[in-house]
Formats: sequence, structure tokens, C-alpha cells
Amino acid sequence: MPEHIALGKSLPRVDAMEKITGKATYASDVYLPGMLMCKLLTSTESHARIVRLDTTRAEALPGVRAVITGNDYPDIRFGSGALRDRRIMATDEVFYIGEAVAAVAADDEITAQEAVELIDVEYQPLPVVVDPLQAIRDDAVPVHEDLESFEGYGFAGGGNNCTLLDADRGDVVQAFQDADQTIEETYQSQPINQGFLEPMACVANVEPNGRLTVWASTQGPYQVRAQLASVLDIPLSRIKVIAMELGGGFGAKLRLAFEAFPAMLAMKSGRPVKLINTREEAFTLNGPRLETNIRLKTGVMNDGRIVAREAYSIFDVGAYLGAGPNAGVGHALGPYKIPNFKLRSYGVYTNKIYVGSYRASGVADMTFAVESHMDSVAHQLGIDPLDFRSMNAVEEGDISVSGARLPRNGLRETLQAVKDRLGLPKKMGEARGLGIAMGEWRSGSGPSTAAISVNEDGTISMLTGSVDISGSDTSMAQIAAETLGVTLDQVVVPKRDTDMAPFTGPSGGSRIVYSQGKAVQMAAEDARNKLMALASDRLGVPPDALACENGKVYVQDNTPQELTLAQLARMSLTSPQGPIVGNASLSSMPFAPVYNTQAAEVLVDRETGRVTLTRFVQAQDVGVAINPMSVVGQLEGGAVQGIGRALSEELQIDSETGRVLNPSLATYLMPLAVDMPEIETILINVPTDDGPFGARAVAEPPGFGPPAAIANAIYDAVGVRIKELPFTAERVLAAIKGQQPKAGFIDIEALLSGENPLV
Amino acid sequence: MKKPLKLTVNGEPREFFVEPYFSLLDALRDELHLTGTKKGCDEGDCGACTVLLDGKPVTSCLVLAHSAHDSQVTTIEGLAGQDGLLHPVQQAFVTHGGLQCGFCTPGLVMSAVGLLQENSDPSVDEVKYAIGGNLCRCTGYSKVIESIMAAAQEIRDGNG
Repeated sequence: MPEHIALGKSLPRVDAMEKITGKATYASDVYLPGMLMCKLLTSTESHARIVRLDTTRAEALPGVRAVITGNDYPDIRFGSGALRDRRIMATDEVFYIGEAVAAVAADDEITAQEAVELIDVEYQPLPVVVDPLQAIRDDAVPVHEDLESFEGYGFAGGGNNCTLLDADRGDVVQAFQDADQTIEETYQSQPINQGFLEPMACVANVEPNGRLTVWASTQGPYQVRAQLASVLDIPLSRIKVIAMELGGGFGAKLRLAFEAFPAMLAMKSGRPVKLINTREEAFTLNGPRLETNIRLKTGVMNDGRIVAREAYSIFDVGAYLGAGPNAGVGHALGPYKIPNFKLRSYGVYTNKIYVGSYRASGVADMTFAVESHMDSVAHQLGIDPLDFRSMNAVEEGDISVSGARLPRNGLRETLQAVKDRLGLPKKMGEARGLGIAMGEWRSGSGPSTAAISVNEDGTISMLTGSVDISGSDTSMAQIAAETLGVTLDQVVVPKRDTDMAPFTGPSGGSRIVYSQGKAVQMAAEDARNKLMALASDRLGVPPDALACENGKVYVQDNTPQELTLAQLARMSLTSPQGPIVGNASLSSMPFAPVYNTQAAEVLVDRETGRVTLTRFVQAQDVGVAINPMSVVGQLEGGAVQGIGRALSEELQIDSETGRVLNPSLATYLMPLAVDMPEIETILINVPTDDGPFGARAVAEPPGFGPPAAIANAIYDAVGVRIKELPFTAERVLAAIKGQQPKAGFIDIEALLSGENPLV
Repeated sequence: MKKPLKLTVNGEPREFFVEPYFSLLDALRDELHLTGTKKGCDEGDCGACTVLLDGKPVTSCLVLAHSAHDSQVTTIEGLAGQDGLLHPVQQAFVTHGGLQCGFCTPGLVMSAVGLLQENSDPSVDEVKYAIGGNLCRCTGYSKVIESIMAAAQEIRDGNG
């Protein structure tokens, strides 16, 4: 193993000093002279026509500088994907409680709030549909009457069914006939919020040159720029988005959220305008995940081979397709070899807050169902659940759902590592149980760019458009440092905006280190090659006789003959090729799956139903850990999010109106330090062929397994199978007492009636 | 109408005008521009706004600014020494990966400093209890707890 200068070291984050001293600047920390404060009027109706919207009294209030309604925006619908179903602000109709109807900019927050309360709005209620299983029926009330006119509508079943993802292979009908046993179950996952600590915030200002500057809390500054240009109907080149420090996003901040409100108010008032979500708005305005119902049917042979899988899942997307089933459909197979399958995921509109993304949207729901179901099947067959997984697990060379051949991976190593750590199989005590779950994700891809320049003092400036999430700036700087043979403190990582940095995809989907990190590595190699070429010229030796290490380029077999990076950078200023800048761009990366295995040990109180997590172990194939401390931190944090999803978190939604009933951190129960056991994390290192130094994605998978692992542990402890999340004491106790859970059987044929061609 | 308020903030006497309805958090952020103290919920649930008020950790969003008249307030900006040397709790968070997105970090650090001023040899459970009012969504708490335990050791070793 060669000595590394930066790779594989648990170095402190490059932004640690500014964050630990309170100096890091988040969007809410931006204060501009003359800045106004914005407040929103939001809908109190689930579905209604706006018959009157009068802002006269609000506008007359002293200190109010501008008031806007939906009619201030161009008549444009936009969307997060191909389907353009959403107006930025309601015009003549509202579709959920909490939807923005008007906005005010005033001298201070309290005046803005007072003005909001002076806006007169009158609604005429329209029919409402809240339950996605009702909404998908052919006879359901349409959420959007005019959806046929939406650009991009029509590739799904019609009516409220706005998206469809499907995958098929083999002969499912025959395979089920040939199977020794068939097991069918239905699972339900709950609505959840991403729980980012920093509420969404934005400042907008029109610059003297007429351009719009937006200080945003976002994972995707270029996506905000594009969507803002679209809804304001102004050229993209007139917008600059400054990506401020991001206080957690987890998918919620991937797209345009509410930046268009302060932007329009700034354009109207000529003053800078700031909007910060209240915590209540963070729960009610946009972008949680809603409930998912998943019906799984599996055909198995008595020896344990899975021969067929059928999966129907219905994802509630709320009032607009903020983000749909996303990557959910193929994950209905889990990381298993199943020769015959038929998989369908439907997105369905309801009169609720519309969904956003959250840490691999859809996959966590699907993993809960699939990995619980795997245990059910194993128990029916009388096979140990771990052995059952092992005998069906995918292997190198298998063809994945997408058709790609599965490359080398560490799936089995993760299973073995957890088995060894826990000493499986093991007998648990009274009311104690152990469960495992496996997870699968791809290493994220997408457009990625980087520029590396070598400064006159020998330091390196690394320019990327990627917002730091999860320490990605540090990992990318380590990649640059390792490639150029300098220490991490020699790498300068500037903050970025869309004017300064080259275009890149958003920071999400576990794509930054694998894909963006690859661009950084390639740009650093480009810079290194230019350094070597210049040194070769000046030292009079061929480039392959040189090495670039420890801040200098030297002749390998004559070490005193060397030039420091500082000397080379200064020489380059007058060299024919000019200053040293390395560049790289790429649009996609090869398929590189990530696997993990997670195990939970629980104690169940039979009297109260309370589940206590007593131990949690996880192993993940990370390829190569660029910064092990950061990787472990990601895996611990992701696991705890999954544990919250399993045990306590639920966005409670009124079944009549779709209203969010618990929009506060006192009632939406995220895990606290006192709730958590130590998370034991094992890193497996099976390098990828193409990732930077062999790295794989890290961030999404740790959130997948906890719900199923804990469900399987509860079954192991007290013999009941809980098919609905979260596993509250009430729900577990009811199951122990033999009461039937709500989630039963989804009659897909009845829901999507006879002539529907999609089933 | 703004009224005068006298506070000692990070050792410096300050006298300034604050609206009667302002929380201590809003006074620190909007009037003194000490934006290191974060507003995560403004209703006492998340702990991101934790500061030391006369040495005790409090959620500053639940303290009316004027009720803190004549008090000593320490915020995240006041922890490092004049020479820029970090407080042992800050240093431990940096070294042990106790921070990620950084938004909950000032509050967590202040809660930890409050604990270690009272008890420089806490058990893991005492640390968990002390930060029981601080939500963190990124770290899962393991490295936060590790950081605070390491800081306690540093302080006991006389390096704080």
C-alpha cells in the first residue's frame, strides 16, 4: 500500500472552522441594507376555487412595500420533471391546505405578518380526495380538472394516476404456476418529513444592472436558476443563485421551493427581500414524502429459490408531482436474483401537500416492504432469513433491472461482516429479537464539472458548482490533494454561485463523491499533466521520468532535480501554454451499485408494546473511503434517520382534509441522543473500476434498512409482523393482542378497472 | 417601540434598542448580528439557539430579550480565545467529526459547554441527557457524543 498524502485520512472538514465558530453564513444570516421581510398567506382549504382575493387593506398598512398574488406571475406551469403541473402560486384554485396564495414584503416581519392577516380571501370549496387508494380509482374526484392540458401528462393511467414506472422480465404467470409456494403481503409506509434543521430561507435582490441575485439554501443552485427563470419567464442569464451554507436538505432542497416569492417581491419593490420558513411551514408548504402502499407477491421453490415477484406500489404524490415514485420500482426486487418479475409503481394525486425527495425517495419505502417480506417468506419456508438472503443474493455478472451487468461489488462481504460481528445465528432472550435487512443503491451520476488551478504560491484552487452536503467539499478536496501530491490544507475550496462556477447537477442521490469527485480527479490529473509537461520542458527530461508529490515535481531517479508547484505556477504565467488550469466535464458514470447489510436488536415490552432498540450494526461497501471519519458519520446519521422512520416519525395527516396535524418538532418525533444506542459501522472496501480512487456512493443506503431490520427483530422477539410504519407502542401492542392492522390487501384489479391497459 | 436593553455579550457590555416582543435570539441575530446562534424552530423544540445565560444553557428563542436585562450572555462567537484558540469542545467537534451541516452545531456546543462547566467527568448517559434538547439530523449523535467525551478528557487533563 503506497503512502497517501490525503486519501483515506480522517481529516477535519475544510469548512469546520467557520462552522464551529458560528461564522458560516447560511441564507437566513444574510442581512442587506434596506432589506424587507416576506410573509406568506397560505390556503386554509384542501381544494377550493378562490372567488375573491383582495389585498387592498394589506397594501394600505404602513410599512408594507409590496404584495403579490398568483396573478403577478406569468401564466406558466412548471414541474420537477417532464410533467408541468404546478403554478408557483395559486391563481384561481388551491389544491392543498398550506399552498401559497399571496405574499407580502414589509419593513419588518411583524408588519408583514399583520399585512398577511389583512388580505381578504374567500373560497368556494370543491370536492376533495385525500386517500391515495381512493384517488387512483377511475371514479375518483379529479384533483386537477384540467390535467389533460398539462404539458407532459399522459404517460400513466389517466385521472389522478400521473406517473407509472414499470419493469418486466420472463414469464411471471407461468413462474407462479410452477412455484411450490406463493406468498403475498401488503405493506404501508407513512408520510415523513426530511427534518433538516435549517428552515428553508432565501434573500432576493435586483442588482443595479437589472439582474436578479438569489441567496439560497439549496442543494441545486443551477436547478433553482432554471426553474426560477421558467416561472418568472425571464432569461436564465439574468439570474445569479448564490449557494449559501446548507443546513441539511436530504432531498428537500433539490429544486425550486419558494425562491420565486421573494424574487417577485424584490422585482416589485426594488428592495432586497428575505423569506425564512417558519418551522410550521417547513412541514406544510412543500416537499415531504407521503404514504406508500406496496403489494408484493413472491413465488418460491421449497429449496428456497425465488422464481417470481409481482409488485404493485402506489405512491401518494400530493397535489403536484414534486417528486414521484422516483427510483422505487426496481427496488421491489431487492438485491436478489429473481428471473421472472412484473413491477409497477403508480404516482397518484391527492389534495395534500405535494411530495419532494428524501434520501433516495421510494427506495426506503420499498426496502421496508421487500426486506420484511423476505423474512416472511423465509419463515414460511423454514429457512434462516440470513441464509435465505444469501442463497438468493445477486452476484457479479447478473443483469440488473435496468439491463446493466452487475460489476464487482461487496454485497456478500457486508452480509458476512454483520454475521461475524453479531455471531449469527444467535438465540435472543425473552422478548428480545434480532432482525436484518439488506439495501441496494446505485452510485449517483449526472452532469459534473470541475476546474483546478495551481496558484503562484503552489496552493490549489478547486472550483466546482456542487453545494457541500455531507462533507463532500472535503472529500473532493482530498481527491484533488491526493492527485496533485499536496496536503489538504493546500487546497482552496471557494464558495460558489452560478455565475462563477461551471454547471453541475444537484447535490443529491449519492452522486457527489462518485461522479463530481471523478470530475475533480480528472481535472486534477489534467492540471498535473500540464505541470509535468512544463517541468519536463524546464528540467530537460521526459515527462515519464517525473513524479508529482509533496508539493513538487521531481526527477524520479535524481531527486535533487525538482521544481516546486509554486515555481511551476509562476513559470506558467509566461509559458507558451499559459497558467496551469485543469478542467474536466462528464455527463454520466458507469453503473456502480452499493450494498449494505443492517441489523437491529430490540427489546419489546409485551405490556405496553414499546420497542427499545438495544443494538444496531451496519456494514456497507463504500468502495474506498476518501475520508473514513466523514463516511462513518454519513452512515451513522443515515441509520438514525431510518431508525426514526421505523420507530417514531410520522407526518400525521387528517383523513378528511389532508391537513398536516403535527407541524412542529415537538410533535413530529425525530430521534434524540437519548433514544439512540451506539451505531456500530463496518466499512467494506471493494473498489469500483471508475469512481475516484475506487470510491462508491455512501449517503443514501444507511436509511433503507432500519425499518425492515427492526420489523424483523420485533417478529423475532414477539412473533408479530408489523406491516405499517412507524412501529409505535400502540401499533405493536395491538398486533401482540392479535388485532388486525389497517393495511391489508390492495385490490389492484379493482382499483385500476378492467380496460386499463397498465395492470 | 424599541426600548433600551443592557447585556454583557461574550464579555463585552452592550447597550442597544430592542423591540419589547423580541426574543433574546432575535436580539442577538437582528440587532447585534451575532448570527452564529441559529433559529431552527423558534418554539423551543430544536435547541439550535442555545446560548449560555448567566452560565446556564437556555434556548434563546424562549427568553424575552428584555427579561435578560443586565445578564451575561455567551454565544458560539464568544467561546474561542482572543488568540483564536478554540474552546476544547469546539476543537473536539472539529477533530472527531461532531459537525456536519453545522446548523445545530452552535447549540450543541453551547449545551456541551454548559454541561462541562458543571461536570467535567460526565458519563455517556449524562452527555446524552445534556444534549437531549438539541436535535441533530446529520450525525446520528454518535460523533457528537464522542466529541463531548473527548473534550471532557481534555478539560480534565488541564488543556482547557
